[in-house]
Amino acid sequence: MNEIAALNGVVEVEKIQYIKIRLNDEYFGIDIKYIDNIVRMQHITRVPKSMDYIKGVINLRGEVIPVFSLRVKMGMEEIEETRSSRIIIIKYDGDSVGLIVDEVKEVINLSVDEIEKVYRDSSENAQNFISGVGKEAGNLISLLDINEVLNDRTV
Amino acid sequence: MDVSQYLDIFIDETKEHLQNLNNRILDLEQDGEDMDTINEIFRAAHSLKGMAGTMGYKRMQTLTHDMENVFSEVRNNNIKVNSDMIDLLFKCLDALEEYLASIQESADEGTNDNEHLIKALNDVLNSKNDQPEVKEEPKEASKEDKANSTKAEKWKDIKIDDTFRTVIEEAQTRGFKAYGITVYIMDSCLLKAARAFLVFKALEEHGEVIISVPSAQDIEDESFENDFSVVILTESPLQKVIDAVKFVSEIEDAVGGEIVIEAKPQVTEVAKVDDVAANNTSSDDKPAQAAQTSQPAKPEKKASAKPVVNRTVRVDIEKLDSLMNLVSELIISKNSLVSVAGTAVGRTNMAFNEQIEYLESVTTNLHESVMKVRMVPIESTVNKFPRMIRDLSKKLDKKMELYMTGEETELDRTVVDEIGDPLMHLLRNSADHGLESAEVRAQRGKPEVGSIYLDAYQDGNNVVIEVRDDGNGIDVENVKRSAVEKGKITQEQADLMGEKEAIDLLFQPSFSTAKVVSDVSGRGVGLDVVKSKIEALSGEIEVKTKLGEGSTFTIRLPLTLAIIQALMVVVGGEKYAISLGAIQTIESIKVEDVKKVQGKEVINLRGSVIPLVRLNEMLDIESLTPNADELIVLIAKKGDRFAGLVVDELIGQMEIVIKSMGKYAGNCKLISGATILGDGEVALILDANALI
Repeated sequence: MNEIAALNGVVEVEKIQYIKIRLNDEYFGIDIKYIDNIVRMQHITRVPKSMDYIKGVINLRGEVIPVFSLRVKMGMEEIEETRSSRIIIIKYDGDSVGLIVDEVKEVINLSVDEIEKVYRDSSENAQNFISGVGKEAGNLISLLDINEVLNDRTV
Repeated sequence: MDVSQYLDIFIDETKEHLQNLNNRILDLEQDGEDMDTINEIFRAAHSLKGMAGTMGYKRMQTLTHDMENVFSEVRNNNIKVNSDMIDLLFKCLDALEEYLASIQESADEGTNDNEHLIKALNDVLNSKNDQPEVKEEPKEASKEDKANSTKAEKWKDIKIDDTFRTVIEEAQTRGFKAYGITVYIMDSCLLKAARAFLVFKALEEHGEVIISVPSAQDIEDESFENDFSVVILTESPLQKVIDAVKFVSEIEDAVGGEIVIEAKPQVTEVAKVDDVAANNTSSDDKPAQAAQTSQPAKPEKKASAKPVVNRTVRVDIEKLDSLMNLVSELIISKNSLVSVAGTAVGRTNMAFNEQIEYLESVTTNLHESVMKVRMVPIESTVNKFPRMIRDLSKKLDKKMELYMTGEETELDRTVVDEIGDPLMHLLRNSADHGLESAEVRAQRGKPEVGSIYLDAYQDGNNVVIEVRDDGNGIDVENVKRSAVEKGKITQEQADLMGEKEAIDLLFQPSFSTAKVVSDVSGRGVGLDVVKSKIEALSGEIEVKTKLGEGSTFTIRLPLTLAIIQALMVVVGGEKYAISLGAIQTIESIKVEDVKKVQGKEVINLRGSVIPLVRLNEMLDIESLTPNADELIVLIAKKGDRFAGLVVDELIGQMEIVIKSMGKYAGNCKLISGATILGDGEVALILDANALI
């Protein structure tokens, strides 16, 4: 074990940490450097006349933060929130945004050679939001491109 | 002397003096004989010269010196004011402003000697007389001599009333001594208030200053001659206190003695002076009483010739922002307390509620005070416009006059700083495009001199600034034609376009109808920049125009940026806040009283027809009370237009903190922000202006 730990220590620099989340039965990874907080579902105030994926705004320790449904954003059907639903608070470029996910699994470490770059394919919508695919213990994890998720280019 | 710490003061005061000079020289142009104006110009120029000299800005000093010489000759009736001279003086002021700008940037005045200006000034001087220039320095010196001879221990004139008598007696029983001290500041000192402040600071290290003559406020405002007196309570020996005072630079002298209350006042005279011969050795050792009777009463303070200027303690705006944030937090937490008290039915007691009410009034007052601290009159921004219009008048060769009202209207500091450019733009626009040439005006039977008005006033929670002219107005057809030519719109679109839409075209990027691109305006960057700037300040701009009669640009700005009084309402089960300032009245309207005009719902309220806005429809939500017999209608006002906003339920009035929703929340025009309610829920703030 110690040897492995030591080994991990050596290659740590090469590894990127992701939070592994679930939408439906798919797993996605979000680079941990963008994540400010993970909170339970709470009352969301609807914002009228906004895009369908904007679920509204919440109060996070005195700040008002918009919340997106990651499902709707990714082109999936919407579901009722469940006990495992969470809001991931992303801090990007000075602004905060919450993303609703079905479940938060764990933190994973991926080294560069475990990540396969995805080349943009405009035929499928969801593809646009993925920057790469990570291989973790035999599972495939789609890594989200936060910039693409937040900045809607279809508008 | 290290003067860098005074740089800020220098810059501020120089700005004030320059602004003052600008205004006074404008006055002088109107009336070249007015002695008060000339004297004031002279004084301002003299102070400017002195300050520049102290700070080591030689070029600035030289230029002001030569200007001062001209003023001096004018004052002595050796030169008559003429328009060339006024032009030259304005050029000099511009040059001084350049120096100042450079100093502000790099603490260095730059290398421009402005020799042509200095030469021109000297030409003015030589043209008139060959008399040697009048030196005012010796005069001042003699005045100073006189002052010195009468200068004495003015502290003995301080009247100690019963309150202070008790304070002093009490202090004496505790071993403190009361000393009266008179401090003389050197005549050459230019930042008297700053020196006095240092003296006070020095004194406070030793004890407590209980009386000061003139008052601390007057001293801070620099409305005192070269001396002031204080009474201090201290344990230190007198000599030590006086030494501390003299340690402050540019202090000419300090004298003082003990004030003894019970017995016949006895004075221990101290203070001996090093450099001033004229000092009062004679009064040494005289009993205080004798001095008091023998001395003439302190001369009445000369009526200050300086206009009343807003004196301020300089505070970094960031500190105010953080103070404001803290107040916001406090109000949010107060709101949650209120809501806790409201929900804990049967368990709240009277005392608790009383305390909450008290807290409420404290937070409201606190908020108002912090707000007021941030408010400044728009004067500082609009002051420069008369001069600008004068220059434009020359440049464009059109006669025009600017009339301003409401300069004292206050706005948040940040808004005042930002509003200058848009206003300047609108004024230039009026001067250049608005006003017709003299011939056209004559044909139309208008007075030869064109009028431009700048009016500011408060309207509810908004401040309105209007720029108005009696010029040509906007030629809508011309605007449309120009838009078609530029390919902004098609001919068909133009034909269908109403007047309002056509005027809106003016606010499109790179749109200018000026046929000739002039130096003044018409470069195609213009109204769109004005508009975006005003919108960035959460304001609005509107245009009204009548061809041949003139146009009015109305800017509407929110008074407050952070915390407002709001009316909380329910629409379709959701809570919304509406700024109370936008609401005129709340009416209960019977459903059968709602009429339809051109397919739109209106109500007739006390003689005026007001369109109804069903908020639930605007906000895409089902009304809670679709079949109610009576509608709750908020009558909202924007300028001279009204609208009736239909809501489901009223909650009540509340002080809310406006929070930004960030750029990812979509940009719904109806929502101007969000706020956090007492229970932690977020409520959106409806922008009543956008609904009308």
